[in-house]
Order: sequence, then C-alpha cells, then structure tokens
Amino acid sequence: MDVVNFVKTNYIKNLLDKSIRSDSRGLYDFRPINIQANIMENTEGSAQVDLGDTRILCGIKMQVEDTKEDTPDEGNLIVSAELLPLASSQFESGPPSADSIELARVVDRGIRAAQCIDLADLLIEEKKAWTIFIDLYVLNYSGNLFDASYIAAMSALMNTKVPKYEDGKAVMEQRVKKLKVDNIVTSTTFAKINNKIILDPDENEEYVMDARLTIATDKKNIRAIQKGLSGAFSSDEIKELVDRSFEKHDLLKDYINSNTK
Amino acid sequence: MTEILIPGDLIEDKELLKNNRFYISENNKHYCTLVSLYNNRLIPLEGYWYPNIDETVVGIIKEVRNNVFEVDLSHFLRAIIINDFRNKLHFNVGDVIEAKVKAIENKKTIILIYPRLLRDGMLIQTKPVKIPRIIGKNNTMINQISSFTKTSIIVGFNGLIYIKGANSSMAISTILRVEKEAHTKGLTENIKQILQKELELTEK
Amino acid sequence: MASSLNKPELLRQDGKRLDGRDFDELRPLKITANVIKNANGSAYTEWGNNKVLAAVYGPKEVVPKHLSDPSKAVIKCRYAMAPFSSLSDHGRSGPNRRATEISKVTREVFENVVLTKEFPDTAIEISIEILQSDGGTRAAGITTAAVALANAGIPMKDLVYAVSAGKIKDNIVLDLNMIEDNYSDADMPVAIAPRNNNILLLQMDGGLTKAQINSSLDKVINAGKIISKIQRQALLDVYKID
Repeated sequence: MDVVNFVKTNYIKNLLDKSIRSDSRGLYDFRPINIQANIMENTEGSAQVDLGDTRILCGIKMQVEDTKEDTPDEGNLIVSAELLPLASSQFESGPPSADSIELARVVDRGIRAAQCIDLADLLIEEKKAWTIFIDLYVLNYSGNLFDASYIAAMSALMNTKVPKYEDGKAVMEQRVKKLKVDNIVTSTTFAKINNKIILDPDENEEYVMDARLTIATDKKNIRAIQKGLSGAFSSDEIKELVDRSFEKHDLLKDYINSNTK
Repeated sequence: MTEILIPGDLIEDKELLKNNRFYISENNKHYCTLVSLYNNRLIPLEGYWYPNIDETVVGIIKEVRNNVFEVDLSHFLRAIIINDFRNKLHFNVGDVIEAKVKAIENKKTIILIYPRLLRDGMLIQTKPVKIPRIIGKNNTMINQISSFTKTSIIVGFNGLIYIKGANSSMAISTILRVEKEAHTKGLTENIKQILQKELELTEK
Repeated sequence: MASSLNKPELLRQDGKRLDGRDFDELRPLKITANVIKNANGSAYTEWGNNKVLAAVYGPKEVVPKHLSDPSKAVIKCRYAMAPFSSLSDHGRSGPNRRATEISKVTREVFENVVLTKEFPDTAIEISIEILQSDGGTRAAGITTAAVALANAGIPMKDLVYAVSAGKIKDNIVLDLNMIEDNYSDADMPVAIAPRNNNILLLQMDGGLTKAQINSSLDKVINAGKIISKIQRQALLDVYKID
C-alpha cells in the first residue's frame, strides 16, 4: 500500500464521520467542472473535461463502414476508454484493463439506452453507414472517471460535424453538417465510505470507498446503472440516490449545453 | 544575479560546485543536470531527496518484522529501523513516525534512528527540493507558520510534513504556497503578511 | 515515402513549401511544462498541427522485479498514437509495430543523457501520447519528453531536441509535415544533445547523397538553436507567478 494513501485513508474517514470532506465541499457537491470543446482539429468532434483534477479528453471519429447483416438499416457506435499510464502511477501500459473496459461499457450503455444518437440516421445508402468512434482518453486520474466521461462524451458528440460523403467514401477534410444528437444523458457517481454517502469521489475517496454507484439519467428516465465494489447499498439509499441523480442532471446538462456551438 | 539554469548549461563559477551533487564534468568544464536556481548558490528547483546523515524524515511504518521496521518515506530508497533489543520499540503498520538518518548503505537502504511516534495530526506531501525554503533560514519560515497557526509542525527532508493543532488547514495552505513560490524573493515577509491578514479575517 | 504515380506537387509556384514555409523554416512550436498533475514531470507541445503530451513517473519500483538493474535505473518508454489523432480513419488503439520501434529508439536517446547510475534498482517511466498527428511526431515526442524529464527533476547531461530533415526535389527541407513526409524523396529524423551536438537518434529512408546528408545535419543543428530556446522557455515559465 502506498504510504501517503494509508494516512489519507484515516484522515478522510475521520473527517467524514463529522460529515466533512477533505476539500471542504458538501457531501453532494461536484468539484468544479470545466469543458473545452473542439480542441482537436483532426477529429470530427472533441472535448476535454476537467472535473476537479480529473482530466479526460474525448475524441470522436466517424468512418464509413459496411452495414452489418443483422442491422442493415443502421450505423454503429463504439465507445472505448484508455487509462493512460501518463494519467496516474497506478495505470500500466498494455492491453485494456478491466477498469477501462467497465468505464467504456457503462458510458456506451447510457448513450445507447438514452438514444442520444439515432443509429438509423447514420445510414448513408444501401449497405453503407457511419460508425461513430467515441474514444475516452484519461489524461489525469483524480477519481470519478464515470461522470467526467459522460460529460466529455456528450460534449464531444454535441460538437461533432459529419464529413462529406462522395462517390462511396468520406471526405474527411470537409465536414458538412452537425451530427444530430437527440438526447442528453449524464451520470452521477456516489461513493459509500463508512456508511456515509458522497457524490463525485476524488481519488483518495475512491481509494477508501466501500461501494460505488453510478446512475445515468436523461430528463425523465434512468438509462444506466452500475454498482461497483464489494460494499452494499440499501434499497432506501438507492431510491434516494436516484432522486439526487435526477436533480443533478439539469446542472450537468447546462454545462454541456453552454459548451455547444 | 538570479537566473535559472537547465540541464546542459555551463557552470562557470567553480564555487557553485561545492555541496552540489548534480553536475557533470567533461574536459574540465562543468555542466548543470537539473533545473536549478543560480543565486550565489546553485539550488535545484526540481529533483529528488538524497539523504544526508542526521536529517529528519517523516514516514509511515509499512512492515513489522522480528527486529526490523520497514519505513515508507515515499521515496525510491528503502528505509529501515533496526529494533534495539534492550529498549524494544513498539510500532504498528500505519504508524506515522519521525526519525533521523543514521546511515545510507550501498546507495540503496537508509538506516533510521531515534524514531518517535506522531499521533493524530495530518500528513502532507511536498516536493523535497522545496523543503529548505519551507524551513527557512534558521527555521524562520516554519517557526512563523507554526506560531501564527498554533500548530506543531515536523518537516521531513523526504518531503512529508506532519501537522497537528488548532489551525492545521491554514498551516497546510501556507506551506503549499511556500512550496509553489519557493524561488521568489522576500518570501518570508510576504508569507508573514498573508498569515496576518488571514488571521484578522478569521477572527472577525 | 510513397513513389506513387499521382504524387502531389510539394512546392508552390513561388518555390515555397505548400504551407508557405521556406526550406529551413520550422512550423510554429509551443511547449508548456508541468501540465499533468499526477506526474513527476510533464510537458505539452503543439508543433504545427501535432499535439503531443509527455509525462514522467519515477524513479519508482521496477515491476516485474527481475527487470531491475542493481547498477542503474531502467528507462521504460511508451510512444503511442491516439486512435483519433489522424485526419483519416480511426486508428487502432495500443502500440503497433511502428509505435514499438519508436518507443525503443526514443528510450535509447534518453538512456544516453539521463544519469541512470544515480538511481540503482529503480525505473523511470516516460509516456508519450500523440493526441494529434501531422508528421514528425517522433521528433515532437522526444523534444517534449526531454522537457518532461527536466521538469521531473531527473538529472540529465543535456536537454535533447529532435527534428526531421528531408528532401523535396533535391532541396533539403526541415520539419516535414504529414503530406511532405508521405511524398518527399527522403525523411531523416534526428535527435541531438545540443551541448556537444552528439547525435542520439538517426533514422533515414529514401535517398540522399553524401553532400545532402551533410547539409541535412548542418541544418538540423542550426534549427536546434530555436528548438532549444523554446524548451528552455517552457522550463522557466513554470516558475512565473501570476
């Protein structure tokens, strides 16, 4: 165990007993959120999100592919996440870790379930459709990659422009229209530490948490849930956290909208 | 004259080489290897702690064996305390301690002596190169932070600092400020004024 | 280096390069040090349309342990391109054969300048991520990583820079962008320790005469003065107080 983490563990738990967080924010407050959209010219859409010290860069590429046999009228959406070794001394180079796959899949589920992108809209002509690649690049890890990834992915999608399609191929140099985004989904991640529940855990809080719950919602519906770690939540707790998640959705949506051109 | 040297820069004044571990010599010329502040002395602005005998460190017990305590100093060198059979020490894994450097063996293991348990309090991590500035000339900086914030502070040369007392959060933010502004002039006086102002604000 | 039949014209009517540069002219270069909070040292570079992030962790414990060296630190180096880094199709993530080779030659550059004997039995990890690519990313990666290492306080003999030289219609040009890289007659990335102009990385493909190699090296060393100055400024700017 890392020495400093060990000491922080005790410190964080002792403070939380008094309902205080080490950075003195409220139990259900997000850290400051900052979004920079359209910063990578070679992508069809991009956004870099800072959630406290967590930094995630999302790049979106669109590519023309043959439609699949079982979905001949649809395009495709693929979410990947990389926990880059430069983002934390804990992240190793090599094949995708279980954590990075879980992150990508939870974001994928929310975006898909909320029908943010109508896959039928991605059909270009018979047997040709767009595939949207959403890549989440973690540049600095300081906890709560789920919520930061949702913000980054949604902000990048909202700023995505579709390349021109001509003579059976894409002209990547010319982006002709905005990608149609039909819905906005955001997530809220809670950590349970010694029976106290907090929103948006930082890396030290994640280090000591017993259980984690991510709830992704749009305006009206819950779209994805992922509970993590060995600790448990009561059903009353889940009900309360669902309410809180809906409350935070408007705030997060405003952030995303205000960064859309 | 104050300027910042970077790796590869020629060090013209041979006086600067005294007490300076990180330079290299080629053809009787000497070159800097770390980003350093040149101000009568050559002071590294980035870099790691290289233990010297008698220096105070702050660490955490990470392993307890029959006659040896392994201490995590948040450093790439291993550190140990050898238990004295006549005066048997009792530490548990996770205990925060201060100790002094007794010796360095084979460039790899730091032998510590005079360990003392530090109870409660808080631990922060700073860049070891900034520690001399955090302490200040004749302890001026650290004494002033300690007395203004009514805290007791133990500064480890390895970069870990232990703080305990009434206004520890103010002490922490001040120490982190000193770390950030370590290369600036008149820092002791500036920090004094900031502390005075903050105290007035909190008293109101 | 495609000798394709429909090779695009790489020089304009006025004799300048497609982006308006003279033969010896570098693309705009901007470096910022200390950009990744968790890392011991880091730097971000925009060089033309290239965007490169480098970070350094360590000295730290070597994993797996049998790779550690009791006489010195081992340097680990990762160079990787983001799947969204190029204007064309979405790339595969993770290191491929090209990235693995570049990681290796980059590591060897830093094994020369880092005082590894100061940190026996440890590892120093260098990560270079190409977030956006437009030709010359290995040179940009080395130039960025050198700043990240200095920012991490890793002692080094010198602050290395890198840039590539190439040939367009028998003219030696510097700092080739993507299209020049793809269609020029030669490409030669070079990394140099500026204090004694030691050459630490040298790769070439295409075709150059002896005179052209000489001229390329001279031009690289000359342009290095500009690159070194920008690297220095990045390191100094860390201590500016706003």
